[in-house]
Amino acid sequence: MLTYDVVIVGGGGAGMRAALEAARDKSLQVAVFSKTYPTRSHTGAAQGGINGAFAFKDPTDSIEKHFKDTVKGSDFLGDQNAIDFFVNECPECILELERMGVPFSRDEFGRIAQRPFGGASSPRTCYSADKTGHVILHTLYEQCLKHGVKFYNEWFLLELVVDKGRFQGLIVQNMHDGCIHPVNTKSVVIATGGFGRIYWNRTTNALNMTGDGTAACFNAGIPLKDPEFVQFHPTGLAGTGILMSEASRGEGGYLINKNGERFMSRYAPEKMELGPRDLVSRAIETEIREGRGVGGNGNFYVLLDLRHLGKKKILERLPQIRELAIDFENLDPIEHPIPIRPSCHYMMGGIHVSDHTTCSTPVPGIHAAGECACVSIHGANRLGGNSLADVIVFGKAAGKGACLSAKELSSGAEPILLKRTAYWEEKFRTMREKGHGLKVAEVRDRLAATMWNNVGIFRTEKEMEKALSEVEELLQEYNSCYIGDSSTKYNSAFIQYVETGNLLNLAKAVALAAIARKESRGCHARDDYPTRDDANFLKHSTVTKIGDEYKLSYIPVTITKYQPEERRY
Amino acid sequence: MKYAFFPGCTLEGAAAENLLAIKKVTEILGIELEEIPGWSCCGATHLQDTNELLGITINARNISLAEKIGLPILTVCNTCTLMLKTAKQRLDNDDQLKTTVNKALSEANLEYHGTSGITHLLWVLLKDYGLANLKEKIVRPLKNLKTACYYGCHIIRPPETLGFEDPHNPRSLELIVEALGAKVVDYPARLDCCGFHALFPAEKAVLKMSGTHCLVAKNTGADCLVTPCPLCQMQLDMYQPDREKYLCTETKIPVLHLPQLVGLALGASPKELGLNHHIVDTKALLNKIS
Amino acid sequence: MAMEIVYRVKRFDGEKSYYQEYSIPYEKDRTILWGLIKIRDEIDPTLSFRSACRSAICGSCAIRVNSNALLACKTSLDKQLALYQTNILTLEPLANFPVIRDLVVDWENKFKHMTEVKPWLIGEKDCPGGTGYYRQSPDEFLEISNPTDCILCGCCVSECTQHTNLRDEFYEPFIFTKSWRFTADSRDNSPKAHLLPVLNEGGLWKCVRCQQCITKCPKGVRPADHISRLRCSSMNYGFTDNLGTRHAQAFAEYIQKTGRLNEVTLPLKTEGIFRTLKRIPFALRLLRKGKLRPLYFPSPIQGIEGIRKIYNRLRKEEKK
Repeated sequence: MLTYDVVIVGGGGAGMRAALEAARDKSLQVAVFSKTYPTRSHTGAAQGGINGAFAFKDPTDSIEKHFKDTVKGSDFLGDQNAIDFFVNECPECILELERMGVPFSRDEFGRIAQRPFGGASSPRTCYSADKTGHVILHTLYEQCLKHGVKFYNEWFLLELVVDKGRFQGLIVQNMHDGCIHPVNTKSVVIATGGFGRIYWNRTTNALNMTGDGTAACFNAGIPLKDPEFVQFHPTGLAGTGILMSEASRGEGGYLINKNGERFMSRYAPEKMELGPRDLVSRAIETEIREGRGVGGNGNFYVLLDLRHLGKKKILERLPQIRELAIDFENLDPIEHPIPIRPSCHYMMGGIHVSDHTTCSTPVPGIHAAGECACVSIHGANRLGGNSLADVIVFGKAAGKGACLSAKELSSGAEPILLKRTAYWEEKFRTMREKGHGLKVAEVRDRLAATMWNNVGIFRTEKEMEKALSEVEELLQEYNSCYIGDSSTKYNSAFIQYVETGNLLNLAKAVALAAIARKESRGCHARDDYPTRDDANFLKHSTVTKIGDEYKLSYIPVTITKYQPEERRY
Repeated sequence: MKYAFFPGCTLEGAAAENLLAIKKVTEILGIELEEIPGWSCCGATHLQDTNELLGITINARNISLAEKIGLPILTVCNTCTLMLKTAKQRLDNDDQLKTTVNKALSEANLEYHGTSGITHLLWVLLKDYGLANLKEKIVRPLKNLKTACYYGCHIIRPPETLGFEDPHNPRSLELIVEALGAKVVDYPARLDCCGFHALFPAEKAVLKMSGTHCLVAKNTGADCLVTPCPLCQMQLDMYQPDREKYLCTETKIPVLHLPQLVGLALGASPKELGLNHHIVDTKALLNKIS
Repeated sequence: MAMEIVYRVKRFDGEKSYYQEYSIPYEKDRTILWGLIKIRDEIDPTLSFRSACRSAICGSCAIRVNSNALLACKTSLDKQLALYQTNILTLEPLANFPVIRDLVVDWENKFKHMTEVKPWLIGEKDCPGGTGYYRQSPDEFLEISNPTDCILCGCCVSECTQHTNLRDEFYEPFIFTKSWRFTADSRDNSPKAHLLPVLNEGGLWKCVRCQQCITKCPKGVRPADHISRLRCSSMNYGFTDNLGTRHAQAFAEYIQKTGRLNEVTLPLKTEGIFRTLKRIPFALRLLRKGKLRPLYFPSPIQGIEGIRKIYNRLRKEEKK
């Protein structure tokens, strides 16, 4: 049986940062299981940058300002003790990346360059052109090669085995040959990213962002925290949802409606285009709703105008943005404004982390970091540039935490792991043999349609109830799905079947928690409850799955030094 | 129609027959060539390996000489084309570099302005001269000749420097050959590399590869290969006996310089086109068209 | 009439490989990946291919279309159909990789190769004690900007002439890029550690300059240029005892001396007298055909003094 002390699931930024941290302890056996080759992970798609209050660009910036911006950005739903830890760790964690070799853009003094970003009171977003996530991801991979980290590439997580509240290990599938293996490990870091694919094509997320680790934790009884908080990025390409970095606004891009007006003046008179994402996304959708969108035939958008930045700045600071606009919208932003519309981008909610210093969940030995986790530092709305920072800060903390757990805990029980392996082997066999039924893609598409139409940027009770009942129906219909591929080798149809099941489970939790939160906070904007209600909802939702039952409850938010106030930009 | 002619070193040496053919063809077509006085070797990627800036400056010198006579440059070798065009592209898009290079050029009392374009004979025939005009001059259509077109790398790749046609599926050479009346065979290796620039460090691999290209051409039933690059021509023709050592099979197929093929269709004699200077005998091919 | 497009896909099930044709109705403004997903969702769930970000940054979906490697997600279907003037496209896995299934290839060995050039920063030149950070100027950052754009998609591997010829003697192009990325990083204290593997195991001087890597790279990365710079670095570090260096230096000398190449003495300069003797049959063959003028020594070109002055100036500046 594959046996380790620490296993990391997910080879993206958080996973590899955790692996590097865990690998420092030579007495521990560490391995990374990832469903893609690590450099394919979605961290690479993060463009704009990573926040650290170095005060290079603006000497008046401070850790305290980063703290306040993050708390305010979270609409006061972030836990202030965790945010405090986070903003204090950011600078050193970024310097560690720099020393590892991350090629950051530089200022004239040779320091790491910083740019303004949405919701930030000072320019503190460190960047590498508009490919910051890409260079961080590749540098982390290179560091892992340097330190000889053991990777199981294209191994897919099927289950986290928890028995009577005790973590036992995991069940994984080697996608290349289809073999299903138990992995006996004392501790695990789940770092599997978000699940924006509940909205299928209306997302900036990769096709494989299906929340497998989140769903595995959820199925193992670990609560999902704040799942209703879904961030819609203001600037997805209108046609495909592909991300146009916030850096495009950070560098000075304008948002323009069909009258040629910089409409943000009505929504965030001070910060204008650099308002936080929830606000800017709502502003764009409002413009479209009120008939000031560009386009037609039910296909409306607004324009992101970079032309005034000039060719030199665009080529130097936003080369990828330009390339994407050329490839996917067939226009060059040096000469034309870019059609954009909000796209699902990030899940603020996720696996309930109960100790932010170790990223531990309520089940000892199971840790979570990155987008899949909810610490919570992002609360009801994440600030741009805080997710790469989250991945690095909490990836490192989780790596450390998992080492501590591994030293305290014993290995899992092999008979239990073998039993679950047999279950999955049987499941894989049955699915390969099943000759007919519903197509997985059909279930997936219907899920996406109902989530986009009914649990999108603006929400109402009625629509969300509709989504919930549709998701519940789909969960039933999912049982009659077939995959249509009898091969054991690289059976992506089976993987997609499991992924779609994960999406369904998670989407139901999103809808459930969203219905129950009868207020508007951060990115959760309800037409029927348009204001924030601190008296009743200044608290985290948690959804726990017990069998097929979903139980909703609440836990308090930690507030230390910054009391909730009206959020203006 | 007049150009500043950049012959390139090989036309003074082992590919001298190409110079004969070019002179003959341009004379018949009425294309005027004025050899750039004092042109130097383009560096052929090798000088560039020793010092990138020197490589650019040497070619900035070549271009500035053409600028002095106020003509666009016509090249007849793929690698010369790429080296010259690379220098031009870099200089025209980087003012700082241009200043640096011009400082160095001032040592030779020259200055690069960017006023002379650079084109290759293949492109001139197709675009400047035009297929229709070319067809009018044909006196001996190469009706029975099955021809495999071989582009060579440095006339199609990289496209952002050369910019004439899509390197994934170029058509210029086929269009010319068809205009000459010859039949173009479907030749899978038409966009492959001949290996010329790594002959010394990787002789066996290069000879095997270029031999295979000839073999593939033979297997298509082609009577000859034709190429717009003298380096490719030399690589595919001159080493025929050497490569057969490695491939253990006969790879003989005549390899013509593009101007030679054009010249034949224009009625020039094989001798005028230097067809007697090939390693692989061209007699059988000539019988086919006479 | 609605046009049908056909994907002719090279399939492999672990044992046998064969081509299978799929027809899908044409839609405007789609990508190659769109068609693959459509086939998998609607026609054949067994069709295996990789894809993830669908925005040209993860490098998953590289395949060959009509024998050219590309990223399926960013390649316009319309443009491919127009390029080949066809409604049938042939899709194959990347060349020079072992195939796992259909269009899915195995990367493990490439990562092993990559490790050989030590793709990580070595040394603590400017930040003693491993704290703080390295200073790097914007220009120094620009030096490594192009090589760090590599997304490890494998397009260059598939199309590289010399790697196809010499699998084990010539690195995959992106590995040269990785090597250059660290050799050129102003923060690195041991550039030779990244450079020597490409010089020795990687076959640095064997590149044929075909420009396939630059042409096929979907991210504008320029491995062939990086090879050129690595060659230059290797000479500057004194690794000059090889055919490639002597050949390059011969060109530099000829141009300085006469302005032009001398084909007669070039092999001698490159290979030395012993190996050149081997070339006598070759030389005789050329002589017979009048292709060689053994007694022709080109006289210096008009304006050679200018070239020599340019050389002096630039060489002096290089030393600085």
